[in-house]
Amino acid sequence: MSARILIVDDEAPARERLRALVESGPLGEVVGEAANGEEALRLAGGLTPDVVLLDVRMPGMNGLEVARHMALLPAPPAIVFTTAYDAYAVEAFEAEAVGYLLKPVRTERLAAALERAARLASPALDRLAGREGQAAARTHIGVRRRDGVHLVPLTEVLYFSADQKYTTLRHSGGSELIEDSLRALEEEFGSRFVRVHRNALVQRHCIAGLERDDAGQYHVVLRGAPERLAVSRRLVGELREQLRI
Amino acid sequence: MSVAAPTDVSGPRLNLPDFCAARAVLAVALICELTAVVLTLARTGPTAQLWMDLARTSLFLLWIGLGCAALLCALRHYLGRLSLPLASGVALGAMVAVVAAVSEVSLWMAHGAWFGAPRSALSAAGEAWRFRLGNLAIGAVVAALALRYFHVSGEWRRNVELQARARVHALQARIRPHFLFNSMNTIAALTRSNPAQAEEAVQDLADLFRATLNDQRQHITLAEELEVARTYERIEKLRMGERLKVIWEVADLPATAEVPSLLLQPLLENAIHHGIEPRPGGGVVTVSGVLDADLIGITVRNPLPEANEPAREGHRLALANIRERMELMYAGRARVETGRQGDEYVVRLRFPRIDATTRPPA
Repeated sequence: MSARILIVDDEAPARERLRALVESGPLGEVVGEAANGEEALRLAGGLTPDVVLLDVRMPGMNGLEVARHMALLPAPPAIVFTTAYDAYAVEAFEAEAVGYLLKPVRTERLAAALERAARLASPALDRLAGREGQAAARTHIGVRRRDGVHLVPLTEVLYFSADQKYTTLRHSGGSELIEDSLRALEEEFGSRFVRVHRNALVQRHCIAGLERDDAGQYHVVLRGAPERLAVSRRLVGELREQLRI
Repeated sequence: MSVAAPTDVSGPRLNLPDFCAARAVLAVALICELTAVVLTLARTGPTAQLWMDLARTSLFLLWIGLGCAALLCALRHYLGRLSLPLASGVALGAMVAVVAAVSEVSLWMAHGAWFGAPRSALSAAGEAWRFRLGNLAIGAVVAALALRYFHVSGEWRRNVELQARARVHALQARIRPHFLFNSMNTIAALTRSNPAQAEEAVQDLADLFRATLNDQRQHITLAEELEVARTYERIEKLRMGERLKVIWEVADLPATAEVPSLLLQPLLENAIHHGIEPRPGGGVVTVSGVLDADLIGITVRNPLPEANEPAREGHRLALANIRERMELMYAGRARVETGRQGDEYVVRLRFPRIDATTRPPA
């Protein structure tokens, strides 16, 4: 077996050591190294590695979020998490039967993990991320592309809207189709987004005001996009209350 | 200066045992009874009169003792709210008042010649006044001594507790497992690529752990403490590379001044852990020190984490630990202030300079 491996860790010595371990035996071949989550996703799209050795604790986007985005890739790689010490994370990994390695990594453990490297289903990752407490909410939304995963920072999202089949993400530069349901998004980002209609979830600070048309229907006026979003009748009062604050 | 005021602004309080508790009341009764025996023996000696005299003296002293205990028990919440001098005054006044009241009652009973007191002894007006004034003077002196004793023993107990807690905290707060395992990982990597640097890292780690775990000394010199902090910086720098920058402006600090050990290193560790690690681009920690007359000021500043990054928890433990140990060493003359200043988090220490040479060697 010769796995194609991508190493992701914010610390240079940690990356260097993993590379040395992999290259010291017939374990596989290191096809790339990334120092943060965004770089990792960009590389994973182009390099299509079989396995990603992914550090859990990184500044910016943490390993659990990176793994969730990687599940959107056309050929999602197997994920093996690495962590120096996270009593909590280790417990969670064990519960979800996720591959993980404790740093400093032992060669034989690395070999065993690479052999096992089962594809990690995204529901397990979602559960894991949910249990991670403070890190539950993602910082980016992943959009599936042919050549990889495109990331939209949450701060650039204006609103999410849904019709029967799809969820659309509207950001300042355009819109994207995404896989998350509106209900799941509301649960994850409920503190930053507000529901204005059964089919729309708007970033709180992007709401410029409320407008009422001749028929008595209320609409949300947005900062950063010309379109108006309908507000459902029963949510008007609540929305006004929230905007006053 | 927008740094938040220190949280503990209250001054010292009067320490009293809990006179509402049965143990304390029993102790008071015993002490009164023993005093009565001593007084009677000294006054009358082992004669036929002894038992009568002892009974009278015991009754008198027990009333005073139990009366004082009851009054202090009733007043304890009120005294707890007063400053030390005021509370001492009120407690003293209360006890003297009890002595006065019991004296009056005994005078009144002596007139009635209950207990067969020799009528002539206390009924004469001059004798009565001598009795009253004597009792008040003795009562005031004994009450003052008792208050002082209670206060000192209370302070001593509090100090012992503080010291014990500080030690436990020092052990718990010091070792972040994450730091240990990350360092081990860094060393494992360096062993292959740069053995000389790996060797140095192992030595640094050993020094750091010696300072943390092994050092039995409560105090070290400022120069030693700065060295411990720099050792820590070197290890973190291996791991974080360019992302970590520490600026030291400590040339003004007196090298021989004594400080509680691990005063600075935990602050630097907090600054890196909360201020630099969560930032993808890293940042700068500044450690600066000034000497103003005999007051040392040390400031540690780090950038605040960016708004959309989850805040890390756990820096309060180290700060509380430092506060306690400074209180133990400088007893009310040290200040620890923390707060935001612009886009930085600032910890400021202020404490008197105590030089190693001015103390007798431990």
